[in-house]
Amino acid sequence: MSGRQMKLGLFLWATGHHIAAWRHPDAHVTAGIDIDHYIKLARTAEAAKFDMVFCEDAAGLREANVQIASQTSRSIGFEPVSLLSALAAQTERIGLVSTASTGYNEPYGLARMFASLDNLSGGRAGWNLVTSASPIEAANFGSTGLRPHADRYERAREFATVVTGLWRRGASGHDGQSFSVRDPLDIEPSPQGAPVMVQAGASDDGKDLAARTADVVFSAAQTLEEAKAFHDDLKGRLAAYGRELDDIKIMPGVAPIVAATKAEAQAKYDALQELIPDDVGVALLSSYLSISDLWRYPIDGPLPELPESEGMKSRQALVIEQARRDGLSIRQLARYFAGARGHWRVVGTPAQIADELQARFEGGAADGFNVMPSWFPGELDAFATLVVPELQRRGLFRKDYEGRTLRDHLGLKRPA
Amino acid sequence: MHFAVSLDIAAAAGQAGLTFTEIAGFVREAEAAGVDMVIISDSADAPSSSPFEATTLLAALATVTETIGLVAGASTLAHQPYNLARRFASLDIISHGRIGWNATMRQNPREAANFSRPEGIADSDFHRRAEEFIGIVRGLWQGWDAEALLFDKAAGRFHDPERMHLLDHKGEFFSVRGPLNVARSPQDAPVLVMSGLAAADRSFAAGAADVVMLDEPSPEDAKAVCDDLKRRVQTVGRKPEAVKVLATVPAEFAADSLDDWFASQGWDGLNFALPADISALDNFLDRVLPDLRRGLTRSTDAGATLRDHLGLGAGGGQ
Ligand SMILES: Cc1cc2nc3c(=O)[nH]c(=O)nc-3n(C[C@H](O)[C@H](O)[C@H](O)COP(=O)(O)O)c2cc1C
Repeated sequence: MSGRQMKLGLFLWATGHHIAAWRHPDAHVTAGIDIDHYIKLARTAEAAKFDMVFCEDAAGLREANVQIASQTSRSIGFEPVSLLSALAAQTERIGLVSTASTGYNEPYGLARMFASLDNLSGGRAGWNLVTSASPIEAANFGSTGLRPHADRYERAREFATVVTGLWRRGASGHDGQSFSVRDPLDIEPSPQGAPVMVQAGASDDGKDLAARTADVVFSAAQTLEEAKAFHDDLKGRLAAYGRELDDIKIMPGVAPIVAATKAEAQAKYDALQELIPDDVGVALLSSYLSISDLWRYPIDGPLPELPESEGMKSRQALVIEQARRDGLSIRQLARYFAGARGHWRVVGTPAQIADELQARFEGGAADGFNVMPSWFPGELDAFATLVVPELQRRGLFRKDYEGRTLRDHLGLKRPA
Repeated sequence: MHFAVSLDIAAAAGQAGLTFTEIAGFVREAEAAGVDMVIISDSADAPSSSPFEATTLLAALATVTETIGLVAGASTLAHQPYNLARRFASLDIISHGRIGWNATMRQNPREAANFSRPEGIADSDFHRRAEEFIGIVRGLWQGWDAEALLFDKAAGRFHDPERMHLLDHKGEFFSVRGPLNVARSPQDAPVLVMSGLAAADRSFAAGAADVVMLDEPSPEDAKAVCDDLKRRVQTVGRKPEAVKVLATVPAEFAADSLDDWFASQGWDGLNFALPADISALDNFLDRVLPDLRRGLTRSTDAGATLRDHLGLGAGGGQ
């Protein structure tokens, strides 16, 4: 196969990415307690030759208000490193990427865990580094609240330096601001040399850390222009760290709804939208905007002016930009946001979706995509059986794995 | 008699470790022979090297075995209680109720030095901290009542908010709000195995543990500690059989010395400690396991969870 090909990740999320996915008549509602469900999803993605499956994570509930939380499926799930370790034994080729926080772990323990996952999987592990922006998580690790954004990134920088040093068996002995480590890593080196480093922070600090250390960057963008601006900005930072453009794969999220006809796909989307309770939609939006009292504002009025967040700076900016650009009321914005948490949504036929992906891929806005099925297993099956073959026909995606490790799939160099 | 096998997967630095296939093969044979549980420990005091970290290994083993209990060591120094509670609750769901946590009460100086505690923790602090840690983990495992999950698509009620409980722990060393974002364990709570007990830890263990592993040099010493522990179990209001005491045998498997351990009546079973060495594993399977069968008491229909194997009650009600 000649020509550049796109990378595809499957973003796992229990019952699906749509906030009301669990209420879909065919959604697998017990996903959060069913390991076989995840084994099936990973095997579907592997059969479709996806580069990787990816698990998000938070060390706490997603929603503080228990009445709202109880109307979503997001309060229970698997701890992702154990989930992916189980999947390692049940799959052969697909990459296994888990989120883990620099805020609530120690670098030696985290380096051990991911090196172990890499060994268990024969070189298919990746770590999505996050700095954790939720006060609900913070309350599970002390009584001092969420640390300021800049402090979280300061700690993350030191954390990443220690972990990559341990993986690469560099000089041991680290005595820093937040961490001290005496010995080299006591887990045997893996086939991959070091697990793949993934990041998704899009603030200035986040992009800088990614430019320095990440192999893969996940992002959220609505328009091609936004995606391209992010792509160019991040790739533009690489030279400063002695890295080349191809050393980082940028993979924006995409939430597809696919069916044989456009009208059918739209009907599937509309049916899901019907299932969102207003208070759940507004609460989800508020949590990403880091505002606790959005419900006080008239739901059919505009989004109020908001102070800059100490939580997820980039996502807040993206949502505000969209609200202003499209002139959306709080209700409209919340309903839209509930579909994919600010990620790009495409609704259409396999050819239409392939056209859109191709335009962003060839338009210099993406190296691949992080696919976010609206509900499981149905929308994953639809993407795997309808869209993937279309991408393959166009020569845009692999027909078979070329290598064994996640680095092989992504075309990444082995770490020095 | 209950039987456990402790497998230390850390090999001396420079020596070849076990592969996943070798470990899985061994665990499956132990399972077929009716061993109650395999305990994976991977953190040595001396420089060493493991192929895997214990809890990740357990998750993979859970998918290639069906009945055997799977226990991992994880120290209170190397983890945060919320993260650890979550990991084991997940493992218990993955394994359909076959998981235990081996909490050691011994401080490992190597671990302290690599987990940002270069000076270690003062001994008395370490024990109070470990007790608080274990208490938090047990509390978090109780955050979701049975039947808290409703899965009611039509009414839009995924769970019953009344059946989800905050922990709201504020202690000397930790503050943890809870609840866990993992559902209730199929065993109500994963099995809590305690080891490395000093005399001062026995009362705490008597109140909290499901299984205690003794590390005494002779059957006589083990019997004395076992009797003391069982007495304390009754003192805190639990039935003596609520805590299973296993005596660890130090790796020499002459049949006559095994008979000594069999003969003593104090403990509930034996734990065989094996090194990360394929010939030691083969030796155990070929020469020791057949001998153990005469001591096995478990019938095949005794239930599917590790608690069932060990004849322990549900973990929720303690
Ligand atoms: C695709 C994607 C997945 C993410 N997954 C997680 C996650 O699992 N856990 C988390 O705490 N943050 C997650 N984030 C958030 C970011 O990693 C980052 O922490 C957040 O955007 C705040 O950083 P920033 O202010 O630099 O953007 C994700 C973001 C994206 C785009």
